[in-house]
Amino acid sequence: MDQILQHALNGVVLGGTYALLGIGLTLIFGIMRVVNFTHGELYAFGAYLAYLFVALLHLDFFLSIALAALAGFALGALIELVLLRPLRSNDIDTVMLVMIGAWIALQNGEQFVWGGVAKLVPSPFAQEPLVIGPVSVAPLRLFVLGATLVLLVGFYWLIDRTRLGMAMRATFQDRDTAALMGIDVRGIYTLTFALGSALAAIAGALLGPIFLVNPTMGNLVGLKAFAIVILGGLGNITGATIGGFVLALVEEFGAGYLSSEYRDAFGFLVIIAVLALRPQGFFARKARVG
Amino acid sequence: MRARFGGLLFLALAATLPLWLRDPYFVAILTSTGIFIIAAISLNLLLGFTGQLSLGHAAFFGIGAYTSALLSLGFDVDIGLPSPVVVDPKPVWIAFFGAVVVSGLFGWLIGKLAFRVRGAYFVIVTISFAEVMRMVALNWVDLTEGPMALNNIPPLSVLWPGHGLTALVTKSQQYWLVLAVGVVCYFLVARMVRSRLGRALIALRENEPLARSVGVRVTHYLVVATVVSAAIAGAAGALYAHCVRIVDPDVFLFIYTVTMVIMVVTGGKGTLAGPVVGGLIFGLMPQALRGTAPPEVQWIIYGIGIILIVFFLPRGIVPAFADLARLRMPALRKPASLVR
Amino acid sequence: MIKHLWMTALAALFAVATAQAQETIKIGVNEPLTGAVAASGTYVTNGARIGAEVVNARGGVLGKKIELVIEDNKSNPKEAVDAAEKLILRDKVPVMIGAWSSTFTLAVMPKLVEYGVPLIVETSSSGKITVSGNPWVFRISPTSEMEAVAFLEKLDTFNPPIKKVDFLSVNNDFGRGAAAEFAKALASKGIKIGVTETMTPEATDLSAQLASIKKSDGDALFVTTGVEQVTLVIKQAAEQRLTQRIITTGGAFPDQMIANAGPAGMASYHILFFSPWSADKAKYPDVAKVYVDEWNKKKWEFAGLTEGFRGYDAVMTAVEAIKIAGKAEPDAIRQALWKTKLHGVNGDIAFIKQGPEGKESGQSVPNVYIVMLKEGKVTQP
Repeated sequence: MDQILQHALNGVVLGGTYALLGIGLTLIFGIMRVVNFTHGELYAFGAYLAYLFVALLHLDFFLSIALAALAGFALGALIELVLLRPLRSNDIDTVMLVMIGAWIALQNGEQFVWGGVAKLVPSPFAQEPLVIGPVSVAPLRLFVLGATLVLLVGFYWLIDRTRLGMAMRATFQDRDTAALMGIDVRGIYTLTFALGSALAAIAGALLGPIFLVNPTMGNLVGLKAFAIVILGGLGNITGATIGGFVLALVEEFGAGYLSSEYRDAFGFLVIIAVLALRPQGFFARKARVG
Repeated sequence: MRARFGGLLFLALAATLPLWLRDPYFVAILTSTGIFIIAAISLNLLLGFTGQLSLGHAAFFGIGAYTSALLSLGFDVDIGLPSPVVVDPKPVWIAFFGAVVVSGLFGWLIGKLAFRVRGAYFVIVTISFAEVMRMVALNWVDLTEGPMALNNIPPLSVLWPGHGLTALVTKSQQYWLVLAVGVVCYFLVARMVRSRLGRALIALRENEPLARSVGVRVTHYLVVATVVSAAIAGAAGALYAHCVRIVDPDVFLFIYTVTMVIMVVTGGKGTLAGPVVGGLIFGLMPQALRGTAPPEVQWIIYGIGIILIVFFLPRGIVPAFADLARLRMPALRKPASLVR
Repeated sequence: MIKHLWMTALAALFAVATAQAQETIKIGVNEPLTGAVAASGTYVTNGARIGAEVVNARGGVLGKKIELVIEDNKSNPKEAVDAAEKLILRDKVPVMIGAWSSTFTLAVMPKLVEYGVPLIVETSSSGKITVSGNPWVFRISPTSEMEAVAFLEKLDTFNPPIKKVDFLSVNNDFGRGAAAEFAKALASKGIKIGVTETMTPEATDLSAQLASIKKSDGDALFVTTGVEQVTLVIKQAAEQRLTQRIITTGGAFPDQMIANAGPAGMASYHILFFSPWSADKAKYPDVAKVYVDEWNKKKWEFAGLTEGFRGYDAVMTAVEAIKIAGKAEPDAIRQALWKTKLHGVNGDIAFIKQGPEGKESGQSVPNVYIVMLKEGKVTQP
């Protein structure tokens, strides 16, 4: 029983960051129809910035995470303006190739700047785990969970309650009509990509201190973000949130009770299973295959 | 006519290369480039002629490599049956064709599964498939040796007049082997795309609803194309196993698929010569850059290269040059054939 | 006539140019500089760089400077083979150093026989390397078996005494080999063996493995993997409140945990082959001092010294063999390695024969040290 609670707690902490990654990716796909291969690199970018600000420049830990998010937003906006905007009229495969190119260049840029050796990001939290009844958790992980929950709520508020969110939803539903209604669709695209990128960068800055930061850390995470998006249905934000937590719990319990070595395979098995059984994802009412 | 002459000249140069270029290191690089060109030719069948972007192509390559290596080395594995499955070492060519068949079977499976979904979904299914394969290769240590890699894989051998059965171990011998398999695969794909199947695939790529409405059996043709494509990729993987003689789980890495995609797209997808041209460029460029730039800078150049090609030569190098030649020499202008 | 003169002059110029190019003796270095075990490979390569500088500052060998040709094997066995072929065929090195992990070294070994070039193995610990009948392999690092046997002598430094052990190993030759050899050696002292868990080289979340180890009632956990995963294991073990004492094997030291200490009271033990915190206690302190001073002059990570010495000692071994051989040719160097005896940073380096008769590999018998890392401080218990 203690073990089950411990696994559940670990899964929920991890799930929060997975959800952030999934939301960013699904938003970009849903609104822009872009399969974003740079998502994992934005995650690594955020983690490296956390390292830069905290370990090298000795800035405040919380300020560093906020700065990493801002930088992620800026890099995302830049990618959109330089690479995606000119290719707006091209098909999805062409855009995908450009994103693959950007992914390779970004990842190796990180390697060039930081070298291949993994970095450890210090955190201001006590190293002693908090013991709550039968389970224990590092204070840093609790902070990460709190931060992701706040971000998730904030994001829902943004999408659901603000004029900007309404414009985004309108663009998602019907780009042409939205444009006719006077919505600046091009601006919405840039903003969407930048926001999604910022979420990935925050996820990296939050998870970086828990694990280690290295240049290829984005690869597996980027692929997992795809798994989450597929699980929730492409373009479905609630689906991605639930999908993030589901994937983390599946991994955690799968690793605990089935095989610790196949931990990272569970996500991909989930994708194949979902697509074989219910291609539109588990949380979408209507099919969006195509 | 000119193109055919150029092709023959290229083939003659390629076939005699180890005779006049006595640098074993360069021949070795051309050999490994050749293996990737074969893989790129197989990817082109899917990406170029059916328009389906398979980003798990390294999976078929890796399955071919592992199957051929395991069959030629022999293995025993306990899969929960009353007695463990024991396979004795098989002759290398049987292993090779075994690899082609097994890869083809996986192609059929993925084709059936993946073509229920298209576009972005297809891409993600193929990526996931390759990643699951990598995890299996990494963790099923009883069968694959995991990160310890399958080592000392026997080389392929041929009946050489006067010498009996000769193992192909020298760099030149391996080069000719890869060239021979490459030529066979090239003409196989050329034959396919000019057949009824090829015309159906192109009709599909250009306008799927129209093709459907005139009675083209879409899923059937797509699955056939995937099977052939996977089988050729498997052959390339088997060549890799017997030439490099070591196979580790990293053959399934996404970056290898990406390398194949880059070769096809830069060369010109949907053209027969495209993967060869793109493959030569991207196979040899790392060696040209080696020593002048650290590997990560090379990869940055690759990444930017892909972006630039998509922006400025969206159809690839071969079609761009063909256009150029036609503009220069109006006599050569002819109506664009169905197979670009 | 004038044309002829020109040709002669040109030929002479070329001769001078090639002669100058031949002024160096090349040593190939095949190490993981990127990928899962990049940290260790980088330290070893840096140690080799220092070794080359020290040798060259002393006038080189056979009147020539030595030149390291460094290739990155990207923490991958196939790339290790490619790197070896490049070093042999392109750079024509007469001797190589590498390839860090046992898996990479085992992958490279057939190429040594194919081309006839000796390899000085500086880190790999798998027993397989020196008993497979490869006469081109000379190892200066200890096998896991040697390490385990040497560890038995230090058992009484642990108080309370070790009664039951668990293992967490990376699932390659290095990790599995170490777990097997340590289990065998410890069992011979009547110590009980608990659970053995494995992890892939690039795994970062080890909570599931640690949870299963936590359920075992062992009092010591042997961890065998590279520096990066050792760091992750220690951090995550603290979070999960593991009660076992962590002992790492194979010389990996989590250097980043000096600046970022674990929780108060938590200690980890590390089996090392050189301890820079007590360099004066090394067998040849003067040799160790030169190495440590040069390293510190570069302002490199102090803790990297624990692994960097491998590259340093390997270069010194290669240079000594070239000196004895009297020429920089592969087979001459191979024969000279059998006569090579020197004082290394670790201690005495000399090769004994292992493996099938007629095709023996060389194996040196290194020293082993144990250090304790507690709250960012390193001591020798």
